[in-house]
Amino acid sequence: MVVSDKTSPSDPQANATRESSPIDAPVLAAESLSVIRSGQRVLKDVTFRISPGEVHALLGGNGAGKSTTLLTFLGFLTPAGGSVQVQGRDVGENLSAIRRTIAYLPEAASLYGHLNAYENLGYFLSLAGTNADRSALDDVLDRVALQSGARGMRMQTYSKGMRQKVAIALAILRDTPILLLDEPTSGLDPVAIDDFNRLVRDLADAGRTILLVTHDVYGACHVADRIDLLQNGELVGTFDRPPGIDRIDTEAVHEAFAGRAAA
Amino acid sequence: MMNSVFSIAREEWRLWLRSRLALSALLVFALLLTATSTLIALRMSAEHQQRTEQQALAEETFLSQPDRHPHRMVHYGHYVFRVPPPLSVVDPGVDAVTGQSIFLEGHRQNTAMFADAGASANIGSFEALNAALVYQLFVPLLLIAIGHGLIVREREENTLAPLLAQNVTGVMLCLGKWIALAGVTLVLLLPLFVMTAVAVARGESLLASAGLIGIYALYSLVWCSLILLVSALVRSRGLGLGILALFWLGAVLIVPRSAVETASSVMPAEGKLEADLRMQADLREVGDGHYAGAPEFMQLQANLLAQYDVERVEDLPVNFRGVVAEVNEADLTEVMNRYAEERMALEARQARFAESFGWLSPVVAVSAGSRALSGTDLATHHRFLREAEAVRFDFVQGLNRVHVEQLDYIIDINRSNDTASERRTRMSAENWNVLDEFNFQAAPATERLTRATPALTMLSAWFLLLTAGGIFVSRRIRP
Repeated sequence: MVVSDKTSPSDPQANATRESSPIDAPVLAAESLSVIRSGQRVLKDVTFRISPGEVHALLGGNGAGKSTTLLTFLGFLTPAGGSVQVQGRDVGENLSAIRRTIAYLPEAASLYGHLNAYENLGYFLSLAGTNADRSALDDVLDRVALQSGARGMRMQTYSKGMRQKVAIALAILRDTPILLLDEPTSGLDPVAIDDFNRLVRDLADAGRTILLVTHDVYGACHVADRIDLLQNGELVGTFDRPPGIDRIDTEAVHEAFAGRAAA
Repeated sequence: MMNSVFSIAREEWRLWLRSRLALSALLVFALLLTATSTLIALRMSAEHQQRTEQQALAEETFLSQPDRHPHRMVHYGHYVFRVPPPLSVVDPGVDAVTGQSIFLEGHRQNTAMFADAGASANIGSFEALNAALVYQLFVPLLLIAIGHGLIVREREENTLAPLLAQNVTGVMLCLGKWIALAGVTLVLLLPLFVMTAVAVARGESLLASAGLIGIYALYSLVWCSLILLVSALVRSRGLGLGILALFWLGAVLIVPRSAVETASSVMPAEGKLEADLRMQADLREVGDGHYAGAPEFMQLQANLLAQYDVERVEDLPVNFRGVVAEVNEADLTEVMNRYAEERMALEARQARFAESFGWLSPVVAVSAGSRALSGTDLATHHRFLREAEAVRFDFVQGLNRVHVEQLDYIIDINRSNDTASERRTRMSAENWNVLDEFNFQAAPATERLTRATPALTMLSAWFLLLTAGGIFVSRRIRP
């Protein structure tokens, strides 16, 4: 495990595996990123890079700037300073092409209540310019463990967790190289969270690059290759999963998170 | 891109078809439109038939009068009726408030009356709610009811972010939603297609009918753009609904009422009683043609005697009483026409001023355009008055010419001596065919389109402005 923050830089040896190189260029990169929303600077000089197949978690409390970071990668917000890049291209250069490479799961994602799971997935996939047949939909809905009996029911009858599973299924079905997940396990029960974490790891192992934002320390430590700790819009610490270890040290992250929050 | 736009439009339709509110609103509108259009169509059809029959009967009655003194026929008079144009099934316009028949007689210009007592009684009844009013007032309400949440609902229900994340831009989203709502207007316009098709089958111009459909389509699209713009701007459905409801109230009630009040106060019209008194004073100066010996006609007498080089009116080769009646009718008509034209010019100015409030309310614009295209506007009523007056003047002067040329002056002045004298003044009934057939028709379609141009311009401006606003706002839509 490697712990670093602004006052104690990361272990160069451990970080060497994560730094971008000409061969292994970062899929997602924020360089000195600053964002202003409603007149307030919500991100301040944030820099990180995410390599292909990496699961990268942004951890922080409410208002830390996590969701803002994701929205900036999607081009919904414009940096006040610095830059964000997706696959080496500045976001804003060709937003449409960049968005085609990204599947985004928003916080409290809510699909249409008057549609069932199949109809929702079919509609959103058609908007994304793709489609999937019923068996492909069932395969993914099986992976997110949505009960088969519920799939034909209107989503207005779903629990929050069931809706979240369908939203996750949509992100998977987009079949994009990049996944941006905003509080993906919100509303899921513990078993579903474990299932989801396994799913994320499987997707990363299959080559997907995943940036997830969460305030779930345990979940982040279990699923992420690297955790960046955000506080008040600033990157205040970085935790890497050491080679050969299946998770980041939860206690260390929790301590840093709680310590920063108390401070 | 367009695939996604149409997907968004289709999805909005699926939502509405699964929504009890949208279906209920559509059902209520369909019932209201069916009831009003059926009632008004039946009434206007009956009025059309009744007035056509009344016109034929009036002409037949006039022509079948026995031999009489020609001036008795001048006072016997004649009725003309304004037959409602075929498109009045959609918009009866001023028909219900201006009167549709005029009694024509010598020396007077009577005001238009209602063809029958029932017609005036209909003004305040349910039948006053016609198809045009349903389209002008209730289509916007229906569109607001089902469309106010177009964009803001996505925001409130957290579906905006997933939508935009599928590489859907704000412009695509708004265009899809706009197409969906425009599709609703297309459905709502179907009854209008049927009504105008019936009007075309009854001889209405295709161009005018297409123009009428076009102006209501444009009007509906103005509301679609407004609803979309508001829905994209606000952060809650309640606020959007409130803004749109207030706009509707202003557009439907406040602005049209203010337009009429302002026009009346900026261009005040003289009361009918005062105007009539003033005109009567001018008419008195012209003199009464029934008294050929009155001082007003001495100069005329002298001129005639000089012209024919005779000493006495009895020696004139024409009936002097007839000449006086003819000249006096022309002079009276000139005075009456002057007052009528002044009044109509003022009414036209007031109407144009009130219609300019279409820049403030699309309802004012569409109602003016609808009346013009249907051939039921004030200009049409004025043309009816002018054509009726032309018929009146022609037949009165035709009878006066019979009086001048065919009735001997001596026989004429002695007509009251006894029955035999009176009989000798009777002219052949064949002379009554001086009466022209009156067949009032709506103006040609091109003229109606020209009159509707200001309304079309105003609605086009509304549409372009709101659509430009929608495009501007749509480019800034963020989750």
